[in-house]
Amino acid sequence: MHPPRVDRMIQLFHVTKYYEGCLALSDISVRIEKGECVLLTGPSGAGKTTLLKLIFGAEHPDDGQILVQNRNIARLRRADVPYHRRTMGFVLQDFKLLPHRTVFENVALPLIIRGLSSFESRRKVIEALRAVGMEHKQTTQASVLSAGEQQRACIARAIVNSPIILLADEPTGNLDPQLTTEIAELFKSINARGTTVMMATHNRQVVEQLKGRILRLDSGHLLSDQGAER
Amino acid sequence: MKRIWYFFREAFMSLRTHQASTLIGVITTAFTLTSFGTFLLLYHNVHNLVGRVQQNIQIIVYPKDDIQPQMLQDLKQVIQADPAIESLTLTSKTDALKDFKHQFPDEAYLLEGLGESPFPASLVLNLANTIPSTDRVPNLVNRLQQNPHVERVRYNRDWIERLTLIITYMEIGSLIIGGVLALASITIIANTVQLAFYTRQGEIEILRLIGGTNLFISIPYLIEGAVIGGLGGGIALSFLRGGFELFQHKTHTLNVIGGFSSVFEFFPLSSSLLLIIGGILLGCVGTFTSMYGWMRFRL
Repeated sequence: MHPPRVDRMIQLFHVTKYYEGCLALSDISVRIEKGECVLLTGPSGAGKTTLLKLIFGAEHPDDGQILVQNRNIARLRRADVPYHRRTMGFVLQDFKLLPHRTVFENVALPLIIRGLSSFESRRKVIEALRAVGMEHKQTTQASVLSAGEQQRACIARAIVNSPIILLADEPTGNLDPQLTTEIAELFKSINARGTTVMMATHNRQVVEQLKGRILRLDSGHLLSDQGAER
Repeated sequence: MKRIWYFFREAFMSLRTHQASTLIGVITTAFTLTSFGTFLLLYHNVHNLVGRVQQNIQIIVYPKDDIQPQMLQDLKQVIQADPAIESLTLTSKTDALKDFKHQFPDEAYLLEGLGESPFPASLVLNLANTIPSTDRVPNLVNRLQQNPHVERVRYNRDWIERLTLIITYMEIGSLIIGGVLALASITIIANTVQLAFYTRQGEIEILRLIGGTNLFISIPYLIEGAVIGGLGGGIALSFLRGGFELFQHKTHTLNVIGGFSSVFEFFPLSSSLLLIIGGILLGCVGTFTSMYGWMRFRL
């Protein structure tokens, strides 16, 4: 008997992607269930970021199908891409915060896009900032935050919409080991609350700390899938 | 509400942050709209002048010679009801004879013994002071000639045809010059907004990352373009008003163009507002053209 379809968060079927004739991903087939913590590892150029971009709807596959929450991303209309993105959070290595805005304004941005009321937005922003331990920094401008604080603010922005999936591309790439431990711990707690986490990393410390399922990529090929339940 | 506040705040923050490019955008739009406005003002006044001249045109309608007095009154009423007619004067056959005798008393003997007046009755029409148009007089003459009680219609065809030609050329000219200047404004505003776009690519990427639609991302830029266009339009209007007052003052004191200086007038309020609204629209179109290409191929 098949498990309920709602548990299948992300499904990739024979996905292939080229960039100007160069192979970025080759025939990748993976299924990620709800609440899983998946770590994409491999050297630079392995295809980790490409895989995340495909799931995020920032790229189209040249071949194969991608289902995210049972929605075929390969067939997604351009106008529907933003709405697809609103169901997930994305954390990047370079934080991508608006430097001249306060932490509160940065975290509130996804809620403004969704058109939430001020009261509801405030409640959700405070909740997200509390979850990352940044409640006391809400009025601070993003440009004066430390690297660790910027990444925390970025995570708060990614989870403020209560996404079902949280994608992260080398979120600890710019952080020292101490901060890396803190950020990894944050992802662990987010995952523990039921959010599916998919993180691209080549940081061994993070891999050991998160103890998730490990997809090892190299030159666009999926070399191994360790810790998969099926 | 929160979104609207966000859109306006973003637009005004951007205008403040990119002061130099905003200033360039406003000045160039103002300059373009001033050139366009100068032409419009010229067109407006020549149009008015032509309208006044057209008002002075007299059309003389000669009814059929055997028309009954009652029918003549009916014809008078029919013609008077035409919206193109301001006023008309009926001269009966007897009045025409009297006029002749009054104007040429020495030749009055020529008409002795003729009995009934040999002169036809006539209706002298003055045109209404409406917007001059190329086909107003010919249309009116056509309508009059189709009346079965009208023998013939006389008017100064050459002069009217010349006026018609002037109006036609001016209308074509205004379309061409207006189009070229509008295109220049759009290009300038598009470039200004594109500059803002490039300097804020990082921000736009963030908005896309968190699910901002093209419309959501575009609205602050559209507001920005509208503000640049509106300010440009406002400044252009001030320049035009100032220039016009100066022109009026100089021509009045130096008596350069005689009595004509009193004929010139500035745009009415509605046209002045249209110049500002036109600026706003140009700003929006400029922004849209700039963004359309940029966003078209992005996921």
